Amino acid sequence: MPDDQPKQHTDDSLMERFDEEKLRRFSARDAVVSTVLIALFLLIFSGGSVRQAGEEMDPGVYRDIVLAIGEPAGWVADQLPLAEIGHSLTGWLSPDSELVGATFEEGAAGAGGAVAGKGPSAVTPEWFEGAALGEAVKRKPLETLLVTGDSLSTPLDIELGQRLAPDGVNVVRDPHLATGISRDDLVDWGQLSATQVADDEPDAVVIFIGANEGLPMPGPDGKDVSCCGPEWAAIWANRARQLMTTYAQNGAGRVYWLTVPTARDPDRAPITDAVNAAVYAAAAPWRSEVRVLDMGEIFTPEDRFRNAIDVEGRETIVREPDGIHLNDAGSALAADEVEAALARDFDF
Amino acid sequence: MLFPTVQFAIFFPIVLALSWLLMPKQKLWKPYILLASYVFYAAADIRFCLLLGGITVANQIAAKAIHASEDERRRKWICAAAVVFDLGVLGVFKYYGFFTQNVGDLLDSFGLGMPLPLLSIALPVGVSFFTFQAISYTVDVKRREFEPASLMDVGIYLSFFPHLVAGPIVRAREFIPQLATARDPNHVAVGAGLGLVGLGLIKKVMIADYLGREIVDPAFGVPQAFGGPDLIFAAYAYAAQIYCDFSGYTDIAIGLALLMGFIFPQNFRSPYRALGFRDFWRRWHMTLSRFLRDFLYIPLGGNRKGKVRTYINLFLTMLLGGLWHGASWTFVLWGGFHGAGLSAEHALGRRVERVPRWLRWLITFNLVVFAWILFRSPDIDLFWTYVTGMFSGGGIDLVTVPAVLALLAVIGLQLVPERESHSFEARIERVHPLVLAAGLAVLILIVGATVPSQGVPPFIYFAF
Repeated sequence: MPDDQPKQHTDDSLMERFDEEKLRRFSARDAVVSTVLIALFLLIFSGGSVRQAGEEMDPGVYRDIVLAIGEPAGWVADQLPLAEIGHSLTGWLSPDSELVGATFEEGAAGAGGAVAGKGPSAVTPEWFEGAALGEAVKRKPLETLLVTGDSLSTPLDIELGQRLAPDGVNVVRDPHLATGISRDDLVDWGQLSATQVADDEPDAVVIFIGANEGLPMPGPDGKDVSCCGPEWAAIWANRARQLMTTYAQNGAGRVYWLTVPTARDPDRAPITDAVNAAVYAAAAPWRSEVRVLDMGEIFTPEDRFRNAIDVEGRETIVREPDGIHLNDAGSALAADEVEAALARDFDF
Repeated sequence: MLFPTVQFAIFFPIVLALSWLLMPKQKLWKPYILLASYVFYAAADIRFCLLLGGITVANQIAAKAIHASEDERRRKWICAAAVVFDLGVLGVFKYYGFFTQNVGDLLDSFGLGMPLPLLSIALPVGVSFFTFQAISYTVDVKRREFEPASLMDVGIYLSFFPHLVAGPIVRAREFIPQLATARDPNHVAVGAGLGLVGLGLIKKVMIADYLGREIVDPAFGVPQAFGGPDLIFAAYAYAAQIYCDFSGYTDIAIGLALLMGFIFPQNFRSPYRALGFRDFWRRWHMTLSRFLRDFLYIPLGGNRKGKVRTYINLFLTMLLGGLWHGASWTFVLWGGFHGAGLSAEHALGRRVERVPRWLRWLITFNLVVFAWILFRSPDIDLFWTYVTGMFSGGGIDLVTVPAVLALLAVIGLQLVPERESHSFEARIERVHPLVLAAGLAVLILIVGATVPSQGVPPFIYFAF
């Protein structure tokens, strides 16, 4: 509780507060030297972070400038032990969970046959949807639902949380903005998915990812493969399949994978097409455990971008101004699809 | 470009060094700093620079025309046209979707169709701040409180990067005179500047983002998943988060400006020690408060037209102040809540002072926190869900020791005697800049270690 009377403020700008001589004791040279010293200190200690920040930026002049400084700074930092010392001193402060499980690289080594294209693998019962073949549907209670992905997965995660929490479903929201399956510099989804499963043991996983894809990935021979031909799609599909396998938890979990609706920018179309084709290819052997939910059919029929669509007889904007993400109304429609799909498999 | 990012860490030392190098040659310094500010803004989206440039030129033309005329009616009309233009820009970019949605809903209830095309318009970052500054410039010229400056000076005033995207809302008469002569390179508040940057980083990254990530976002995202104690705790956590986020940004902005030789107005003065709504608005986002007072409340008549009109004026001013924050009914209601509080306080007059000071503080603080629930809720339905949830039972999953300590630190530090807390800049100025620089560098490493792999989330006020 304050112990004095509030002051009467005649002029609340308080522009004069730095006028006293004692508050301006130093020179412009001190200001520049101090700031440059801070910058140099940070470059030496974490030059690698500058390089990484540059690599994560979208192509353009700003990225070029950051990389022009980040690459030599990263090289210098790599030669010195300071970054490691800094990390060992401050690493415990990181809010990120320690990742477990196989990286994509390790996963690809394990699935070498598929990546190298040595021939189709054997057909197993998981390739078939039991209900479609007359098998009785075994529904189980939905206790924990994990909603994850990149920025596409939010506000879908909030929408699903608000709908399902009153039914007693524990909805774990875990969006990882700016990440991607082809973009493992920020986070390796192979490891992240294993960590999520170990932490949350979800009965079902909803994943909506694909806003940051299109980056080159190492192929079977170790050389980078550029987006978006069959070779790139195959690598992406194998990575996606690693996630599906992890989330499916040997049949203990169901996966609901949302495809990416067409973006406004036509330059993104090849990426979206490759990603969506890869999702279907990856999910093919897992029809009993992985449901692919087609968002293109709802938001962009005939592969044509639409800002607004008809919702209950009224034109409604469903996309964010960036022409990539779904807005609240769009996420509500996507949540309808997810909820309906969940209801076919679970009791809640 | 966010302040706590690698891009800005590269941008600022270069801009600062060149700024002081060119400072003695004002003819070079002015285009340079204008260009640097536009480069800063273009990092968000280069197209937004056209909007900023357009606002600058339009208001300068209006200010010159107003100044050239002695005819009061003509001056008034030109000023009104400029203000309508500024508000029109704000309206299109910020409120078009809100307007069409609500008009559409209304007409739908009568069975009529949507009268306006549905557009999804990107909100240019900082548009609310620089349009308000442009309005203040033109109106001050009309009121003969300020003479028009050169186009270059107005351009720098509106685009100066430390305050461009989230304020403080600097008045032309506070900033443009600082452009008249070169800043004195021998008297720079280096200690206060570095200290404020460090303080702002701690507030934003270590406190605000932590509280947001661990407490506020889960609770306000899905309040149905939490019990009453958690929701009550999260409401207080949001009060701490929004203070640390916004005042953290302001500290960094003021600190950067000081290093460049410029002084910005104060924007916060321990708002959670306020003893009433009036006192709160003299401490919270002070530059917006005085803008609303000078350009809305007083032109509406202020307290000059009787008691009832005063209450209406206060209410309307805060209602529109709420709407300024965003196109949502929750912001309007938040403004209305504060307007009602101010009016009630005005009506009670000196009788309020009979209430014990501790009780006045307790009531004010809790009412302000309650209003923050409205402010944070995306819609009224969720606000209602949240508030009703506060009265339910349930566990205390969100209440952790670090979160409680963070909350106590943020609220508690604001309750220490004012003289003590305001000597921060004076005390830190006694430390040698190189020592401060070393301290700030270590601090940045520590703060950086607390950033999650997804990076630093944008400042809350960037959305406004």
